[in-house]
Amino acid sequence: MPKVDMDMERGTIAAWHVAPGAKVEKDAPLFDIETDKAAMEVESPAEGYLHHILAAEGAEVAIGSPVAWIYAEGEPVGNPPQAPADATEKSAGESALPIENGWTHAETPAQDAPGRFRATPAARRLAAIQGIDLSAVAGSGPRGRVQKRDVEALGETRTSTPSKLTLAPTPETAPAAAPPLLPRLAEDSLVLIHGFGADAASWTGFRRHLPRAVGTTAIELPGHGRTESVEISDFADLARWVCAKFDALGIQNAHLVGHSLGGALALAIADARPRAVSALTLLSPAGLGPHIDASVVGGIAAASRPESLAPWLKMLVADPDAISWSYVQSAAAGRKDPATRTAQQRLAEALFPDGVQAFDLAPALQRVACPTRIVWGRQDKIIPWQHALSAPGHVALHLFPHLGHLPHVEDPASIATLFAAPANHSAGQQPAR
Amino acid sequence: MTAVSEGAANARELSYAEAIREALDIALAEDERVIVMGEDIGVYGGAFQVTGDLVHKYGEDRIMDTPISELGGAGVAVGAALCGLRPIYEFQFSDFATLAMEQIANQAAKLRFMLGGAVSVPVVMRFPAGSGTGAAAQHSQSLEAWFGHVPGLKVVQPSTPEDAKGMLLAAIADPDPVMIFEHKILYKTKGPVPEGFYTCPIGKAAVRRDGSDLTIVATSIMVHKALDAAKTLADEGIDTEVIDLRSVRPMDRETVLDSLRKTGRLICVYEGVKTLGVGAEVSAMVAESDAFDYLDAPIVRLGGAECPIPYNPELEKAAVPQVDDILAAARDLCRGRI
Repeated sequence: MPKVDMDMERGTIAAWHVAPGAKVEKDAPLFDIETDKAAMEVESPAEGYLHHILAAEGAEVAIGSPVAWIYAEGEPVGNPPQAPADATEKSAGESALPIENGWTHAETPAQDAPGRFRATPAARRLAAIQGIDLSAVAGSGPRGRVQKRDVEALGETRTSTPSKLTLAPTPETAPAAAPPLLPRLAEDSLVLIHGFGADAASWTGFRRHLPRAVGTTAIELPGHGRTESVEISDFADLARWVCAKFDALGIQNAHLVGHSLGGALALAIADARPRAVSALTLLSPAGLGPHIDASVVGGIAAASRPESLAPWLKMLVADPDAISWSYVQSAAAGRKDPATRTAQQRLAEALFPDGVQAFDLAPALQRVACPTRIVWGRQDKIIPWQHALSAPGHVALHLFPHLGHLPHVEDPASIATLFAAPANHSAGQQPAR
Repeated sequence: MTAVSEGAANARELSYAEAIREALDIALAEDERVIVMGEDIGVYGGAFQVTGDLVHKYGEDRIMDTPISELGGAGVAVGAALCGLRPIYEFQFSDFATLAMEQIANQAAKLRFMLGGAVSVPVVMRFPAGSGTGAAAQHSQSLEAWFGHVPGLKVVQPSTPEDAKGMLLAAIADPDPVMIFEHKILYKTKGPVPEGFYTCPIGKAAVRRDGSDLTIVATSIMVHKALDAAKTLADEGIDTEVIDLRSVRPMDRETVLDSLRKTGRLICVYEGVKTLGVGAEVSAMVAESDAFDYLDAPIVRLGGAECPIPYNPELEKAAVPQVDDILAAARDLCRGRI
């Protein structure tokens, strides 16, 4: 209802010039309105087909309220929107916003163009991560705007996609005493999963190069580092164990970073817990092809002394000189316990029988929807970097010519750079000194 | 130079004005290049009694009363800084900066750049600013945004006695011109101030209160209003993070953006006129950053009204954001009304 008179607050539809469903040209007479003082013809604001006449002839309507809808040629006609509320009812109940505050604008009861929807940036971000179609979300914000909490609510009711590995269902989180006023989200914590024969300490150098704002948590595999060994029969068994560890962290928005065997495990978790994983970085991951140098895996698992460990460690990197004697000694120190070596040898046999990667995560990689990248050194002598080429198009590849199987150890600065926030465009604020 | 962490064991209660005087005293005692200049800062003790009796301790050669010419006084200060002294020039009211703008914006801010880094201008200027004293249109403005628009200047707004002392000492040590905006109403507020020499960093915001639902970025006296509002909001279940911006130029982006990534809601509250003010820069900074993706509601700015500060006390109050305005905006933001 347009305002055609200075004092006008509402107008009465005197007559419609176009029948429901009929075509109307732009600027053609659409309807007549009568105010207290005058009668006036209103022209059509657009070309199209008239539907949903909300205000019949004789109806009195507040200015700014919709009176009918014009659909473009070929546009599907939706359900009739709500008729304009009676102005006398509306004025008392909700004048939606205190305009006198000076910081809110007077609300224009604008209708969004069909096909467009309102959503906050946070809601859009979360929907993109979770693969949710925002146009299907009912918004609880002002004028139907989709808020982050709306997407979160939908994510919680959505059943998780079936995955190849049958893992335990997501454990139910304890019901909160009262629903929080504003739902919270732990944002983008890095969850690190090391490779076969390594431990959580292998991330130390990489962590040091990460931007300070990035938080990290490391999961240690059974029988590695300080974590006790458990009986593992095959990869799915190990994936179940690691996934339970991940669930126990309670991280809602994890960026999983896995190296080698840890990369395969990260991929399995992302496949089983798509809602809890926001991004995936796979460093020379296992699971994307059958080839692996089993002599190195077996050699590391069996090595009891620095002298027998050193040759294998040097195979892991592009530049053997990068493996110092003190590095070898500290690595060997963690392997003194014969029980550790036995456990790792049995794990190697379970995962890589006859020197083959006996598990295939390529289908999982096809299914993963979150932003995913694969990082590989082209001088990897353990798993051929060409396995990366089986990745689907939406997965980013970072292939470093000068690195081997341990990119995050060999060149932690370059790898950590991949995790840096976008460049700050205004970094030039500091005056020259 | 070392910074003393907040809540130092050797802190005692001082007023904001006393904290500034103590900083001047320390600098004057330790560095003979330091001089203090300004109108009526000698035996009268300064328009707001900040310099007090320093003239009796250091004499009129180092605590210099200058004639009623801001252009002249500021010009002498800039010249003295170029010649190796560390002058601190006090304005009676920040509004009179208009008279000295040539020396500030065209000389102090530019010379390092125009002379290829061969010189720097280590001058400090102190500006009593803000409304609330009934001094009306020409003695109540908050003009920090004007200066924040000039590369080559550093512009700070300490909100606590501890920062007033630490930022002044940092400013004196700084090789470049630093403009300090001191809210007049804050001069008599008290707070813990560590003894001895310490500095507070220029260009680093301070998180005054942790929260998870809403971020309020405030400057100067508005920090205290925001903290008052945050207390009330906590009772209503709204957990508010209050950031004291402290420095307008350079501005601490990361502290603001980190907070916003956590809360998703932002109110900027500042006493300067809302349009093209400090909050406009904070808002634009968020909109340009990756933290934009974390916004779950529009940004709200609460700034000064688009008019000169009125004389009538009720209108004067209405012309700048008050605690109730912050409360109303916070409730609307967190209850999904805007």
